[in-house]
Amino acid sequence: MNKGPWTLLKVTVAVIYLFILGPILITAAVAFNGTNRSFFPPRGFSLRWWGEAFAPQWVQPLMFSLELAALTAVIATAIGVPLAFAFQRYDFPGKTIVRTITLGPLILPTLVTGIALLQFLTVIGLGRWLGYWALLIGHVIICLPFSVRTIAISLQAMPGSVEQAAANLGAGPLSVLRYVTFPIIMPGIFAGMAFAFIHSFTDINMSLFIAKPGQRPVTVAIMSFLDFGFAPTLAALSILSLLIPLVLIAVLGRFVGIGNFLYQEQGRG
Amino acid sequence: MAEPALKLDKLVKRFGTHAAVDGIDLAVAPGEFVTLLGPSGCGKTTTLNLIAGFLAPDGGHIQLGGRMVENLPPFQRDLGMVFQDYALFPHMTVADNVAFGLKMRKVAKGEISARVAEALALVKLDGFGARRPNQLSGGQRQRVALARALVIRPTMLLLDEPLSNLDLKLREEMRTEISSLQRRLGIATVFVTHDQGEALTMSDRIAVMRDGMIEQIGAPAEIYERPATRFVAGFIGSINMVPAKVDAIEGGAVRLATPAGPARARIDGVSAGAGVTLTVRPERLKLGPGAPADAVAWQARVERVVYTGARLEVQLALADGSSAMAEATNDGSTRFTAGQTTTLWFRPEDAWVIRESA
Ligand SMILES: Nc1ncnc2c1ncn2[C@@H]1O[C@H](COP(=O)(O)OP(=O)(O)OP(=O)(O)O)[C@@H](O)[C@H]1O
Ligand SMILES: [Mg+2]
Repeated sequence: MNKGPWTLLKVTVAVIYLFILGPILITAAVAFNGTNRSFFPPRGFSLRWWGEAFAPQWVQPLMFSLELAALTAVIATAIGVPLAFAFQRYDFPGKTIVRTITLGPLILPTLVTGIALLQFLTVIGLGRWLGYWALLIGHVIICLPFSVRTIAISLQAMPGSVEQAAANLGAGPLSVLRYVTFPIIMPGIFAGMAFAFIHSFTDINMSLFIAKPGQRPVTVAIMSFLDFGFAPTLAALSILSLLIPLVLIAVLGRFVGIGNFLYQEQGRG
Repeated sequence: MAEPALKLDKLVKRFGTHAAVDGIDLAVAPGEFVTLLGPSGCGKTTTLNLIAGFLAPDGGHIQLGGRMVENLPPFQRDLGMVFQDYALFPHMTVADNVAFGLKMRKVAKGEISARVAEALALVKLDGFGARRPNQLSGGQRQRVALARALVIRPTMLLLDEPLSNLDLKLREEMRTEISSLQRRLGIATVFVTHDQGEALTMSDRIAVMRDGMIEQIGAPAEIYERPATRFVAGFIGSINMVPAKVDAIEGGAVRLATPAGPARARIDGVSAGAGVTLTVRPERLKLGPGAPADAVAWQARVERVVYTGARLEVQLALADGSSAMAEATNDGSTRFTAGQTTTLWFRPEDAWVIRESA
């Protein structure tokens, strides 16, 4: 047997892992530097930078990001559920257009969406909204496609006969939704919520344009601090921001089984 | 006479311009097991969905126990349905699946658990209540679906190809099981299948469907032995069909001219000169000597013998070159070799004439 292709595949996978994990591990190591420069390998050992990462200067944007992402995820899901039902179940005039607009941010560069939203809000005279509400609107716009798509996919994956069976057994339309449809698509709804949360939490392109000073997400804060060089504090902070989505996914995966969605979404969509 | 459990009256359902159900009349008596049999796409599922209320008819009427139900939503029709893919609720245990219909009917808790246990026992699944559907085999899921449909004590049972996802052995087992359960409960049933074996063995009556219409309806033996059309004859079992012309009428029988030779058969109400089709089932065709005086006997050549174990399928060429098939019991009394010329014969009463020319 020819083992050539297998070896090649293994090497490719190894290289990919190296480039995914390598930077993370190096960043983590850098955060333990004993000096105030980001050396790798770290020189000396200190936990000082981790302490600094918990200073109000950083905790405040971190909390702001968390709050923004949570609110964005909830709103995107609340809008996403009915939209996904509409796209998946009903035909209405202009459906293609509405769907294209909803899913547009998925393919448009967020930078463009961000500038466009800023322009738009200024033009329609809502300039004084700039700040938190604009930021929230922007985040919902770019996160909505993630929840809509994931929910639509879970609706599509559910066999229609299950709802018919429920109706046949005496369940009215609302009972069918409550006892059958929603429980079955719940992992999809949570997965969509998680995607929206993560997308909002990691966004910089939208926030860069719309965030006001004093209401900056952690990504923007890191970005501006980078002007002063990559301090070990930033390394510690980056690792912290990385852990938050990971923990979220682990928890959701444990309790609502969203794993299938994270790993099959592209394939099934 | 009692009200029929189900009555379809000129039922029509169109998708776009295509009529998937094109004027169906059907009455199912209380306790009767009626099968809708037909090729893929002939409208069986559509008919069932109309009865269950998942589709609204474009014409005609549906009565359940004498009551018009076209305007009744599915959840008020009180029918038990088993879906082809079972449609079990994946997020519920077996017991909760079975209990669902009772909960929707607001049956008291204590009664629910008693009836669920009873229904699970009925389908021989006692002790499986705590499992999830994905922890069951295909046959077990099938039984859960059946229990879930029966537990609500529906006015009738609708089964959409419930056996088609099972392997052969299990399918035959479930056939008998469903049949005996249905008889025991005396529940009127409409069963959909495209498997003629299922239809013949399970049904009180079979409705053979084609292109949205019922081509013939009757008891299994009637459908098999006295098919009304060439389509029905060809769809159920194998059959020899020979185009024929009515030569003369002699009392209850007719004299026929066929390309394979002259024949006689029983049929009423045809006139001389009419084009018809002479049919004989392979198991009614005999080969070799021993034909009684009144038998129809033709010359034939053996083309091929297919050995199937208990039976031999003998493929023959008739005088005009067309082919025929005879089925013989493999009892060791006869040998056939390809190329051999032999006499093929059948008694006139073993033939059946269809009033349709080829
Ligand atoms: N929702 C629908 N929209 C359009 N056409 C449909 C729809 N449902 C069924 N049809 C068409 O109606 C006809 C009958 O379909 P139906 O599902 O009743 O067939 P069937 O007899 O159940 O076939 P099978 O044995 O393959 O299940 C087919 O031509 C099918 O393509
Ligand atoms: Mg069907």
